[in-house]
Amino acid sequence: MASSALLTRTGMMKLMVNGFQGLRAYASVAVGSDLISASPDVSLQKARSWDEGVSSKFATTTLKDIFKDKKVVIFGLPGAFTGVCSAQHVPSYKNNIDKFKAKGIDSVICVAVNDPYVMNGWAEKLQAKEAIEFYGDFDGSFHKKLDLSIDLSAALLGPRSHRWSAYVVDGNIKVLNVEKAPSEFEVSGGDVILDSIRRLGCPLLLLITIEEHLRVFMALADVYIVRSFSFYGMMHLHSSS
Amino acid sequence: MAPIAVGEVIPDGTLAYFDDQDQLQSVSVHSLAAGKKVILFAVPGAFTPTCSMKHVPGFIEKAEELKSKGIDEILCISVNDPFVMKAWAKTYPENKHVKFVADGTATYTRALGLELDLSDKGFGIRSRRFALLIEDLKVKVANVESGGEFTVSSAEDILKAL
Repeated sequence: MASSALLTRTGMMKLMVNGFQGLRAYASVAVGSDLISASPDVSLQKARSWDEGVSSKFATTTLKDIFKDKKVVIFGLPGAFTGVCSAQHVPSYKNNIDKFKAKGIDSVICVAVNDPYVMNGWAEKLQAKEAIEFYGDFDGSFHKKLDLSIDLSAALLGPRSHRWSAYVVDGNIKVLNVEKAPSEFEVSGGDVILDSIRRLGCPLLLLITIEEHLRVFMALADVYIVRSFSFYGMMHLHSSS
Repeated sequence: MAPIAVGEVIPDGTLAYFDDQDQLQSVSVHSLAAGKKVILFAVPGAFTPTCSMKHVPGFIEKAEELKSKGIDEILCISVNDPFVMKAWAKTYPENKHVKFVADGTATYTRALGLELDLSDKGFGIRSRRFALLIEDLKVKVANVESGGEFTVSSAEDILKAL
């Protein structure tokens, strides 16, 4: 992955600017970026009914209000009412909401390139409005700024977003997971990001888990033992000749 | 594009919908409407009140009557994707005849000259509220709302014209 990214000019630029974690083919933000300053004039629209829209005079919410001084878990998906989004992605956050709250997360946010009324209808259908805040990025401007937009016209969805998740503290991206393809659901779920948040909390586990530590150790031990035996064997052969 | 008017032939275009087997279908307007009497009514957005509580139910209720007067198809079109249209259609379990079709990119709505910029309400480019009576691809009745009202585009108004 690293070598193929180096071959592209943008890959090289990102490597230089953002270090290893900048090698993401399709997001201009990366871990360490400040979301608020990356998109200063962008706002989102809270999922609402039409009447709420009218009474709020169709007010929008700035990224500053959403992210400043808060610990936020945010995930984006291609479309309300679509398969993976409804059946897997949202539930993986709804079912983990208590664990997120226990980690001190202020809000869990779901965003998609849909209008806020559709987001509201969908949130109500999924019965997820208490756990998750739903926002509409109706013109895709939020996702464009993050370079997370993708044209899904082939699926009759038009310009939408990738499937992704992030952990953002006071506007600063701490964790960013983007699926290789929007139809996949490997890295952007609630369980994965909860694990990443846990690892951030424990420096020893920051890079790999204890289980992975053990595996690496065992693999190295294997190599050591085999090498020792073959070295011993060679020495034995040598000395007996 | 100038708004479509009575006497004109409707443009061809592609609309999307989920059929009874939950398969995504793309259909050409001309193939759907050629040689038939079709009502095409449009709403600015799925899941919004006037659309959901007045405009659509009116057509659902009057569907039998419209069919008995020779209407072959009743299509509800909106600038939404087909997933949203499918989910919205499901909120009307009593519906038997109205087909919910998606003009996700607003291409067909623009071809009709009936688009409306509702960005300040969080919508983007949508459709005006309208109801067209089309006979063998020719527009016989064109009831287009000028703003956010609901005065001329209801099922009753189309029934009066039949």
